[in-house]
Order: sequence, then C-alpha cells, then structure tokens
Amino acid sequence: MTAYIIRRLLTVIPITLGVLLLVFTIYRVIGGDPAVRLAGKNATPAKIEQIRKQFGYDKPKFFNWQEAAKTGQPMAVFDSQFWQVVRQFAQFEFGKSLQSNQRISRMMADGVVPSLCITTPIFLIEITVAIALALLCAFYRNTWLDRTFVVISIVGMSISGLVYIMLGQYFFAFKLGWFPVWGFEGVNYVLLPVAIGVVAGIGGSLRFYRTIMLDEMYQDYVRTAFAKGASQRQVLFKHVLKNAAIPILTNVVVAIPFLYTGSLMLESFFGIPGLGRMTVDAIYTGDEPVLFAMVFIGSVIFVIANLITDLCYTWADPRIRLQ
Amino acid sequence: MAASSLPNADRVAKHLCFGLQFRLLSALTFLLSLITACGGSPNPGGKPGEMVYYSEGGDIKGFDPVRASDVDSALAVYKIYEGLVEYDYLYRPYRVVPVLAESLPEISADGLTYTFKLKKGVRFQDDPCFPGGKGREVTAEDFIYSFKRLMDAKNLATGSWVFAGHVLGVDEWSKASEDRGKPTDYTRPIQGFEAPDRYTLRIRLKDPYPQLLWVLTMQYTFAMPREAVEFYKDDLLNHPVGTGPYRLKRWQRNYRMEFERNPAFHGQLYPSEGAPGDREKGLLADAGKPLPFIDRIILYNVREYYTWWQMFLRGQIFSVGISKDYFNKVVNTDLELTPDMVKRGIVLRKEPQMDVFYLGFNWEDPVVGNGKTTEEAERHRKLRRAIACSFNQEQIKETYAGRMIPAAGPITPGTTGYDPAKPYPWKFNLDLACKLLAEAGYPDGKDARTGKRLRLSLDMGGAGDAETRQLGEMYVNFVRQTGVEMTINFSLQPEHWRKLERKETQMFSSGWVMDYPDAQNVLQLWYGPNESPGVNHCNYKNPEFDKLYQRILTMQNSPERTAIYKQMVDMIVDDCPGVFMFHRLTYALLRDWVVNFKPHDFPYPNVKFYKVLKH
Repeated sequence: MTAYIIRRLLTVIPITLGVLLLVFTIYRVIGGDPAVRLAGKNATPAKIEQIRKQFGYDKPKFFNWQEAAKTGQPMAVFDSQFWQVVRQFAQFEFGKSLQSNQRISRMMADGVVPSLCITTPIFLIEITVAIALALLCAFYRNTWLDRTFVVISIVGMSISGLVYIMLGQYFFAFKLGWFPVWGFEGVNYVLLPVAIGVVAGIGGSLRFYRTIMLDEMYQDYVRTAFAKGASQRQVLFKHVLKNAAIPILTNVVVAIPFLYTGSLMLESFFGIPGLGRMTVDAIYTGDEPVLFAMVFIGSVIFVIANLITDLCYTWADPRIRLQ
Repeated sequence: MAASSLPNADRVAKHLCFGLQFRLLSALTFLLSLITACGGSPNPGGKPGEMVYYSEGGDIKGFDPVRASDVDSALAVYKIYEGLVEYDYLYRPYRVVPVLAESLPEISADGLTYTFKLKKGVRFQDDPCFPGGKGREVTAEDFIYSFKRLMDAKNLATGSWVFAGHVLGVDEWSKASEDRGKPTDYTRPIQGFEAPDRYTLRIRLKDPYPQLLWVLTMQYTFAMPREAVEFYKDDLLNHPVGTGPYRLKRWQRNYRMEFERNPAFHGQLYPSEGAPGDREKGLLADAGKPLPFIDRIILYNVREYYTWWQMFLRGQIFSVGISKDYFNKVVNTDLELTPDMVKRGIVLRKEPQMDVFYLGFNWEDPVVGNGKTTEEAERHRKLRRAIACSFNQEQIKETYAGRMIPAAGPITPGTTGYDPAKPYPWKFNLDLACKLLAEAGYPDGKDARTGKRLRLSLDMGGAGDAETRQLGEMYVNFVRQTGVEMTINFSLQPEHWRKLERKETQMFSSGWVMDYPDAQNVLQLWYGPNESPGVNHCNYKNPEFDKLYQRILTMQNSPERTAIYKQMVDMIVDDCPGVFMFHRLTYALLRDWVVNFKPHDFPYPNVKFYKVLKH
C-alpha cells in the first residue's frame, strides 16, 4: 500500500505542472502583460520596459533557447517565465499579489479560516441530514413521505441559491433582526449563511443519496437479508448504508477540496472575508500570482483527496485492494 | 487615472452581475425594505458621546502611499499620511492649501525651484518603530526619503510619474535603483531634492512643471518615516505610520478597517473661507475649529449593493451610492429625492465627476485608423465622424436617468479649457452620418468597391456587468441605423486592458478620471509618444498636436495656455480619434446626521471635515 500511496502522490507533479501550464498559458500567453498592471496609471513605455526587465517578464515564455545557445549551458533553456513560476511553486513560494503586494501565503492563511467556518458546517450538516433523509425515503419508499421529500428536494434544487440568500438575508436579518445583516465577528454571524447554505444545497444531495439508497434497496443481498429475517433497521444501517458507502465516499471526499475555496456568493453577501472572494477578485483584477497559487493548491488538494478516497474504498469494501 | 468602461459612477453597480433574476429579486426586496425599514440604529458599538462614522470601503492595496494608486487605497492612506499641500475643501475653483508645509512654496522667477518651509512640531504618530515608541518630529529629510522611495524602482511605485522627467536627477537615481542584486543606496543624493535646513525643502526642476503643486497633493508624495520602512519591511503595507488625523486601529483584510483619532495630530483647522453659497448651506458653521471632528471611522468592505442598501436603511452605514436599478425608486423625475426618503432623514448627494468616457478608434487600424495616404486619411476621418454622428447621447442620458452630462470633447467639467457652450460637431445627426459615410466610400453602410456591408468591432470591458452590456447593445443599435454593422466584444477588465496594450482593438470604450484639475492630464491620452501600452490607447499621432502638448507641459496657467488647450481640443475633435460620450454625474445618499459634506472631485482626505450629529 505504501508503494501505491507514494506512486499516487507522485502524480501530483504532472498534474500540477499541467494545471500550471494551462493557467500560465491563459494568463501570460493569451492574457496581458503583468508589467503594464504593475506600472499603474500614467506609465510611460520606458517605465513598463523597466518593470519587464526587473521581474523577468522580458524573458521567453517557456524555453530560453537563445540563452542556452549563447552561454552553452543546456539548463539555461529553463531560464524562462514559466519555469520560474514552477521553481517558485515547487518550494511552495507563491510570491506576492500584484494588487496588494501582500504575501499570498499570508492572504491564504487569513482567508482559509473564514471560508472553512462557512463551508465546513454546511458540508457536514448537509451530508448528515441528506443521508439521514435519504435512508428515511428508502425506508418509506413510494409512500407519501418519500414523495413529499422528492417534491421538496426538486423544488429546492430548482430555486437558485441567490433566492435563498437574498430572501433569507432580508427576512431573518433585515426584517426580523434575528441575525446580523452582514459581518464576521462571532458565531451568530455565521449561523444564517450556514443555514442558507444547507437549505440551498440539501435538495440536490437528498436526491443523489436517495437514488443511491434505492438502487441498493433493490439488490439481491437486501432481499436475502430480509429473507433471513433481518429487521428493516438492520437492513438499512448494516447492509444498505455500507454498500452505498462507495458512491457516498466518492461524492463526499471529492467535495472536500472545494471547502477551502469557500462559497463565493455567501461570502459576498454576508461579508465573510474568505478565499472565495479573494479568488474572484483575483480573476476580476487579473492578479495572476494569486490565481496561480489558488489553482496550484487546489490541484494538490484534489490529488490528495482522491488518494484519500481510494484509501477509504478499501475500508468501506474489503474486496478492494490497492496495488 | 484610467477608468473602467462603466458608465455609472457607483462602483457598487459593477457587482450587479447576476442578470435578470438578481434584478427582479433585488427590486422586490428593495421595495419590501422600503416599506418595513426602521429608522435605523446608528453607531452600532459606539461608546456614548463618541462620534463614529460608518461607511463602505473597498479592498485596498495596503497602506504604502507609493503604491496606493486605486481610489480605495488612496482614501485609506489619506486618513493616516499627509503631504506638503492638499486641495482646499470648500473653495472653488480648486486651489491648494498647505498641510505639512507652513505656507505655499516660494517659486523662483524661472519656475524651476520650489522652496517649502515645513511646519515645526509636527510629529509622526507613536509607533514601536521609533525608539521608545514615541513618534518623532517630521523634517525635510523625511520628505526627501519619501520621494526617494517613490523613485526607487524596486518599490514598483505606481506614482513615480509625478517626478519622473521633471525633477533634476530623479531619472538617473531611479535607473540606478533598478539593480535587484543590490540594495538601493538611499544615501546617494538626488540633485533636485535638497534640505538646506531641518525645516526647508527645496525641489529643483529640469523644466517648468506647472502641475507640481497639484501632484504634491497626491498620496505618492506623503511623508513616511524611514524608521517605519526599516522596522516593518514588507509588512509596512499593514502598519501605517503617518502624521494624519487618524491612525489605524484594526484592519481585517477584505472585511473591515477601523481608524481612530491620532492624538498626536498637528491640529489643522476647518477652513474659514468657502465658495459662494457655502455659508448659507451651513458649511462654514465650524470655521476655524480643530479637525478632525469624528473620533472613529469604521469602513466595511461590502460587496453586494443589495446588502449595502439594507445596512444603509438600518443605519449601519451612513452613505450609499444609488445603483441604476434603484435610481427611479429613490429619485423622482425632477432628479430630487422622493418625499419618503426625505422623511427618513436621508439626503441626496449630487456629484459631477471630473471624468470623460469615450469610444476610441485605433489609429493603426486599416479601416478606422489614420490610413496610409492623404486620400485614405480623409476617407477614414469621414468614416470616424460618421460613426460619431450615429451615437445619440441624449438617449444614453435618458436611459441612465440623467446621471450624465453629454461630452463635447476630452476636457472634463471643472477644468480650465472646458467649454460647455461649445457644440460638439459630431453630435447625433443621422443625416450627416449617412452623408459622411457615403463620402467615406460606404453609402448605406456598404463598401462601394465590394458591395459588402461594413462591419466594425467594439471592445468593452466590464463583461460581467449588466449595465455595460445594456450600453453596448445600445451602441450597436445606434450604428446600425447608418447601415453599418457593429459587433461588441465584452471582456473582463484585465482582458480589455490587455487588448488595448497590444493594440488589438478596432474600437474600444474607455474613460479617464482626472488626477488633478489641469487639462494636460487628459490631453496626454492623445500624445503620440504615449501610444499603447502607454495611456494613448487610440495610438493617435499628430505631430502638430504633439508639439503643442510639449509646449503646454512647461506653461503656467494663463489665457495663452487655455487658448492652446482649445486648439488641441479642436485638433482632436477634427481628427475624431474618439467619440466623446459623457461625463458622469453621481447620485448618492447620505444620512442627514452627517454634516459638513461638500462634493469634491478629489475627496480623499475629506472625512476629517465631516461631523456626525446624532448617535
């Protein structure tokens, strides 16, 4: 298993390299010249050129063949903009934001906690409630209770998250004053966004988990379990839930990397100073070091989350062997 | 300052990017909130007797004056740092008054030497960067050090243009600081900055620089103690140490900034002289009283206008811009506040903006550009004029509920050379547009040689913004009336800039917010050597214009210079490298418990003049 884990961890290298290449191409090749943005308003061409030289933006984008030929050193071919970014990121050195000149690592550290304060409770509550309700639906399948939940979840899915946010903020914060309209200064500030996040997302989750549970309910082993005299409760929790664990795990663990990026709309409307807002701002302002860093970290976490999923499979289903 | 292509002044409106669903919802909840809003509970968390001002504040780049090039950063920096001079708060037309200087400078007869006497006894705020934590007195050397920081290439100062090319020795000094391998030598003098004694600062210029006093009001030139730079290093952005009326108490990035009164503030007084009518408006009631009036300022970084509005109605923030979607609900057809809003103790702020929005033609484009031959140049000129004549400014004004002044040229209201009475020859006139189009070789919008319809493309930034899209669609319809087809490419702002930098557009929308009230600031947009990636995104080249521009650079304000400005404007209007669309008129709401408010085009330090009456 150790060899498998090491092998999977090594896949981080080509994946992150590929992701960086893609983002670099979008922003540095197709996108604009960061020197112009750094130079600011009223910048003369001379000033822009000076910045280009200073930051190496005047170097070739991917391979510096000219330098290699000139110096006779083959490694000089990597003296280019892309490989400079790769070298930096390999050491987890993300540099500074073009917009704020703040260290990106610090910006991420500042933003990750507020994001997690919102996304983690939403994630945990949503999964717990959705799985519990899905089991209930499976237990009472094709009854009025099951159908009611199906209708509610479809209606819930059909309504945009924006509606929940705006109406929730208006009624519970502005009109009734039960929660603050905006801010991030205590537990009471996250209650409403979390509640809205759960309500907005639970419809889809419930539908998904209900389908999984029902698929399992019609399997032969369930019929066998009932034939052997197992109670409904035993069948549901001991057999169905365990067999449904693989798709549930896949769904759950793959969602984990997105927790750190936060919830853009909730953060925006409720004033949560998280990473979601930071990332969207970076897109709007063309702050490419921040984007590179967020994408890089995202891809690393994604690979690790996938690895954890695979490891969890072996726990959930002993027939699975990692080789 | 290059402005986005948004037509509205309210930055908030750019966030309204969720389309129809958002707009319907926000309209619904807006109406609900108007019906049910309570009077508001101002001063949340304020201590009894304390004057607290709550407002919205955007993301800032940090508290380093040399990098604070955006509006929000500038607003934050001005609360803490100060320079030699600032704009008079009340007096119009704009003039500068001393702040850390004792008086206005003595200017030599040749206009090349400015000598400032500094106020004595002004101290930096107390901070751990000073020995014993006690702020020390500001001297002329502090200004020289701060000016050097501005010119240090390693600092990537966005405002180095204020001295570059003007002050003796700065360009050479800046060039020497480029070497990233070794630290910049701050002991090396700059010929143009001298401190003959502790309280005297002399600035020596290469050529007369009439804009010097204007640019010295800008944050880039503010006094920064060397101790703070050396103590905080990279973290200086988070630890401002200035002489201004406030000091930073707490800053949570992307969330909240809190400023408190600086106990070491040098005691500036509220102005005793204003513009005609200021006394009647009560703006001189506090004349001669020490500033600032407000004890604490709390700025929330609120993104969504919808949230902003609810906070305003609840009294959690004291001012709010009016987005286009809400405009008709709070302002009546006479452009006055509705009685309901007046009853709530809300006042309307109308602020004309010193800016211009235009559609530029790329001078290097084979269809709309200058052309290669004299005959081609003439045809292209007629084509540009024809396109200009197809834009209906009045319809745009109507669509935007009167929140703009149609532009007749590049010079902005409130600036010398601005002539509102002068007609724009290429204002909306479809007959003239069609006539010019035919003369340009495109009768009925079709190329006379090929019979194919002329197709133009216009690039606009603000892709996510509903208002920009609406404006773009209007532009397409205007041009279509002449038989010409125009496609719009919407991009996010960084992508839009990139296209302009690389001269990749045929036509583009852009704007310019004035850095100081001198037309030279906007005329640089048509100066040949400033072509992209410089600020001349039209890449307009006219040797005669360039000669005049070089001439005005060294001229003091005079009737002769104003006459040259007019001549330059005539050249631009005649060549038509751009279609001048409008100057913005901002409408915003303010709680009536905030007094001493006067609209200002350069409002950065003005919160020190405000007063909050009610708690």
